[in-house]
Order: sequence, then C-alpha cells, then structure tokens
Amino acid sequence: MSYLMLSTIILLMGILGIILNRSNLIIMLMCIELILLASTILLLSGSCALNTLLGQVFTIVILTVAAAESAIGLALISNYYRLRGTISACAPNLLRG
Amino acid sequence: MPLLIIFIPLLSAAGSGLGGRYLGGRGSGLLSCTWLSIASILSLGLCYEILLNGSVVYLNLGRWIESDLLSSSFGLHFDVVTAVMLIVITTISGLVHIYSTSYMKEDPHLPRFMSYLSLFTFFMLVLVTSNNYVQLFIGWEGVGLCSYLLINFWFTRIQANKAAIKAMLVNRVGDIGLILAIILIWKEFGVFDYCSLFSSLDSCHSSHSSLSWICILLTIGAIGKSAQLGLHTWLPDAMEGPTPVSALIHAATMVTAGVFLLVRSAPLFDYSPTATILVGLVGSLTAFFAATVGLVQSDIKKVIAYSTCSQLGYMIMACGLANPEGGLYHLLTHAFFKALLFLGAGSIIHALLDEQDLRKMGGLVRNLPLTYILMLIGSLSLAGFPYLSGFYSKDLILELTYNNYCLISIYWLASITAFLTAFYSLRLVYLSFISGPNRLPKVEPAEDNWELLGPLLVLAVGGILVGYIAQGAVFAPGPRPLPFVPTTVALMPVILSLAGILLVFAPWLVPLEPRIHGFLARAWEFTPITNYYVGGPLWKFGHFVSYRVVDRGILEALGPTGIVLFILGRTKELSSLQSGLLFNYALTVLMGTAITIFLFWQ
Repeated sequence: MSYLMLSTIILLMGILGIILNRSNLIIMLMCIELILLASTILLLSGSCALNTLLGQVFTIVILTVAAAESAIGLALISNYYRLRGTISACAPNLLRG
Repeated sequence: MPLLIIFIPLLSAAGSGLGGRYLGGRGSGLLSCTWLSIASILSLGLCYEILLNGSVVYLNLGRWIESDLLSSSFGLHFDVVTAVMLIVITTISGLVHIYSTSYMKEDPHLPRFMSYLSLFTFFMLVLVTSNNYVQLFIGWEGVGLCSYLLINFWFTRIQANKAAIKAMLVNRVGDIGLILAIILIWKEFGVFDYCSLFSSLDSCHSSHSSLSWICILLTIGAIGKSAQLGLHTWLPDAMEGPTPVSALIHAATMVTAGVFLLVRSAPLFDYSPTATILVGLVGSLTAFFAATVGLVQSDIKKVIAYSTCSQLGYMIMACGLANPEGGLYHLLTHAFFKALLFLGAGSIIHALLDEQDLRKMGGLVRNLPLTYILMLIGSLSLAGFPYLSGFYSKDLILELTYNNYCLISIYWLASITAFLTAFYSLRLVYLSFISGPNRLPKVEPAEDNWELLGPLLVLAVGGILVGYIAQGAVFAPGPRPLPFVPTTVALMPVILSLAGILLVFAPWLVPLEPRIHGFLARAWEFTPITNYYVGGPLWKFGHFVSYRVVDRGILEALGPTGIVLFILGRTKELSSLQSGLLFNYALTVLMGTAITIFLFWQ
C-alpha cells in the first residue's frame, strides 16, 4: 500500500513538474523520467505482491525505453540549443493554432 | 380568314423584327404596311359577314390547360362586339403603319418600330377575339408589354424610360384586379369561356355577392387599362413615345381594351347593380376630371391625351348605365376621330421640327391648310358638333344618363364634360392654327408628303361618316326606342357643345385664377398625392422592412451569412486553445485523460 502511495506521489510530482515548469526543457525530460520510474515502482511492487515475474520483465523493458527516450530527448534539446541558444520551455511557441 | 386576320400582324412583326436588318427601313415599312392592309381588308370582309349577315364565327383551336377541374382551351369567338373592335383595330393600325413609314422616316430603328406596332396589333387582336378570359389575358398582358416597348422606343431618353415603367406598373395594378376576377370566376363557375359562363348565370343566384365582387374586380382591371380615375396617371406620361404610338395606344388599341372588357362582361354586370353604379360613377368622374385638366394643358399631345381619358370615361359611363352598346358605339367613332387628332398633331409637330408646345405655335393655318381642315374636323367631331360622328355617339350616351335608374350626378357631370370637351378641343385648334404666330422663325413649316397625309384623309372621312353609317347597326341602338327624355335634355348636349365652341373665339372670357389654373395644370395634384401617400410609404416600406429588416436582418442573421460568421468566431476561439506552449499541451492531455478515466471507469 505504501509503495502504491509512493508511486502515485512520484507520478503526481512528475506531472506537476511538466505542467508547472516554465524554465527548462531538461527539467521536463527529468519529470518524464520520474513518471516512468513511478510506473516501474508500481510494477515492481505489484509483481512482488502477486508473486509473478511479469512485472519485473516489464520494468526492465520500461527502463530500456526510458533510457532510449532520454537519449533522444537530450539529443533534440542539444540540437535545439544549438539553433536557438536557449532551452526555456516557453521558447518553442511559434506553432500556434 | 379569321385566323389569317390574327396571324398576319404576327408574321409582319416577326418579319420586320427578325429580318429588319436585311430589309432596311423602307423594306420593312413596305412589308408591314402591305400585310396590315391585307389584314384590314380581310377584317372588313369578316365584319360584313358578322355585322350585316349576322353569322357568328366560333372556332375551337385546341386544348390548352387540362387539369383536374381547371380546363381552358384556345378558341376564337367572333361576334358583334369583336367585329366592331376588329374594324377599329385593323383599320386604325393599318393607317398608323402607313403614317409611321413617313413620320419615322429618319429614325434608324424603323424596322424595330414597325415590328412593335405589328406585335401590338397582334396582341390586341388576340385580346378581342378570344373566347375565354384566360386567352383574353394573354392579349391583355401583351398589349401592356407592347405599350412598354413602344413608349420606351427612344430608350436613350430618361423621361421615356420613366414613362414606360410607369405605364407598365400602373397597368399591373389593374391586371391584378383582372387576375383576381378570373380566379373568382373559376371558383364560382368553374368555366372560363364566355358561352358557358353567361349561360350558367341564370342558375347561379346563390352567389350574388361573389358576382358583385367579380364585377368590381373586372372594373378595377378596366380602370387600369382604360386609364380611369385613380389609375389614369400613366396615360399623359405615355405621350413620351413617338406620336403614331400615341395614336395607336389612345385611339384604337390599348385603352379600348378596358371598355372592351366591360362590354364583353356585360351579362355579368346585369346581375350586379352595385358594380354597375360604381362603373358609372368612375366613368363620369373620370370624364369630368380629364376634361377640366385638358382645359389648361400647354402640350398639344397632353391635351389630346386628357381628352382620350375623358372620352374613355364616357364609354365606361355608358357601360355603367347598363348600355354597353352605347359605349361600343362611342368607341368606334372615338377611334376614328382620336386617331385623326393624334396623327394631325403629329403632322404639326413634324412640320414644326418636334415643337410640341401649344404656346409656341399659332398662325399655322397659312402654312398647313390641309392639316388645319383635318384637325378641325377631328376637333369638331370630338366636341360633338352636329352631324359629325362624335355627335351621334356622345348624344346617345348623354341622353342615356338622364333616366331614373341612374344617379343624377352622372348626368350633370357628363353634361359639364360635354361643354368642357368642346371648349378644350377648339382651344387646341385656336392656339395652334388661328391665333397670332408665337413661334421663333426657325423654318417655314410646310405640309409633308402624302404618306403622312393620306391616312389622315381616310381617318377624316371616317370621322365624318362612321357615326352616321354605324347608327343603324345592331350594336348602335339608333333605330331602337331610346329612353324618353324631355326636349330640353335632348337638345342640351348640342347647345353645350356649341356654347363651348363659340366660347373659344370670344376673347378670353374666363381668365382662370392662377391657383385654380395651377391646380388644373398639375392634373388635380394627383401624381404628387399618389407619390406622397402611396409611392413614398411603399418605397420606405421596401427599404426599411423588406430590405433592412427582412433581407439584411432576419434572413442574413439566420441565413448563410449569419451561420458562417458564427462558426468562424467559434473556431477562432477553439483554435486559440492551441497556444504553442508545451506545458499547456501537456495539461490538456492530462486533463483529457483524467476526464476520460473519470467518465468511463465506473
């Protein structure tokens, strides 16, 4: 139960970080990592509680995906910085509706 | 032969209208004159059969509208009334055609003019020969259309355009009356053709009030077409067309259609005394009104136009005295002397190089002696001088007004009108021919060629003799016993006419007060009053209600434009949600997810 609370709190922290963050794209990437970690914590606690390995297998898959995703995200951010000279989250607002 | 009479003018119209550019002015004039002459000779033959031999021709040409209860067919019906109208239309029209070839010689659009004239004749013949009301309506609208085309013949003049539109619109008011009458006839009787309708009248006493309404609506139709009081305003303006057109419209065709309608519908009017009295009142008031206005007009054509209006009032009045034959008789004589007057006025105008103002004429008797004689014959005939054709018919109508079944006011109005008619018609002759010359010494006027004067001579012979010749005919109740009137009443029209004629030659005994003169010269202020009380409010209604409230208001707000504007505004608001900021998108996604989960997780 406490693991469930922990993962929920981490998930909410990640979400709030994405929504409220105005300064930095890297913080946004980190918050996405937090959300993924919250899901891995939930999967691990679930797999221990239900005594099955499937949760741990998924966790490893998620970690891999998260690593790949943060690598690509960092690459995009560094390219963006090279083009614009800033990584503020308010900066990419040219595509309005 | 009956079909030929009707379709020869149509062929002539098509020939000079479509082939005018190949024929040229001279050729198309020759073509249409020849064909119209053939038509008038044929119609004289037909009239010999009908009027003298008494054989009514009835032709069924074919079915036209065959609906469940509504059935109408094309058919021709030549009886006495039609025969008289045929003489009038084809003779006058043929003479006007011949006259036009000379009068309009220099006009580059002569083929078009001849085509319109022939088309006018065709539609008028359709009107008088039809055997039902629906086919009559074809001719009724057709002559309205042709009057529009002819008044607007010189279409580069703004006055001509305005006059033509006015003629069309004011006629439309009467046409609505006629349409409603036809619809009511169909509702009450279920038939359109005259024979069935008039024979079913006896068995139809139940619908007495609706019969009155039919007659009143027919009267409205006649008021519009015959320029009676109320809807007369188009007639003086119709003088904007060429002079032969005025002769055709005012003498033979257009305006006589209203009288013809009343004469044709006379059996209906026998069942409705209310409508009959109404017709008599309208006719007598029109006669009086137009005669007073004619007293002071300074335009030579306007004087004759108002005299037409006045004489039509006499004819309508005769129909309102339950004596349509008298009206028809006056129509016949009037056609001849009025065409004579108009064409004579055209001759004067032609000689004076398009000068129409009576005040700038005078002393023409030395230059235009033949025209003077012809105009004098026409004017005396119009004035009812004894033993000219106007005398016979007008005297008859005036005696008819003096009987117990009619309002006595009709008699007084008609008598005063007879006096005024004599005065203004001789005033025209006096001012243009006899008084001292007032014109600028531009050019010495001279008589034109015989193409112009020949038709005038024929019409003058008609203006002298037609009244006497037709006196014994079936439709002109000469030999029949007239209503008994006292000798003074019987002599009164002649005395009044002679007094009116003599008054002209007295040095102006009656200098009218300027205010009365202005009132009469502006035609009783009819046009301003109509413009102020009818035209203006309708115009404002059209602008404010129809245009602003309905068109630009309701229909545009609820219609396409309003919907487009509404959707555009909403989509602008919706698309401004997409702000371009990443965290707002993330918020939207998460909120959307949360809402979806909240909604579907139960």
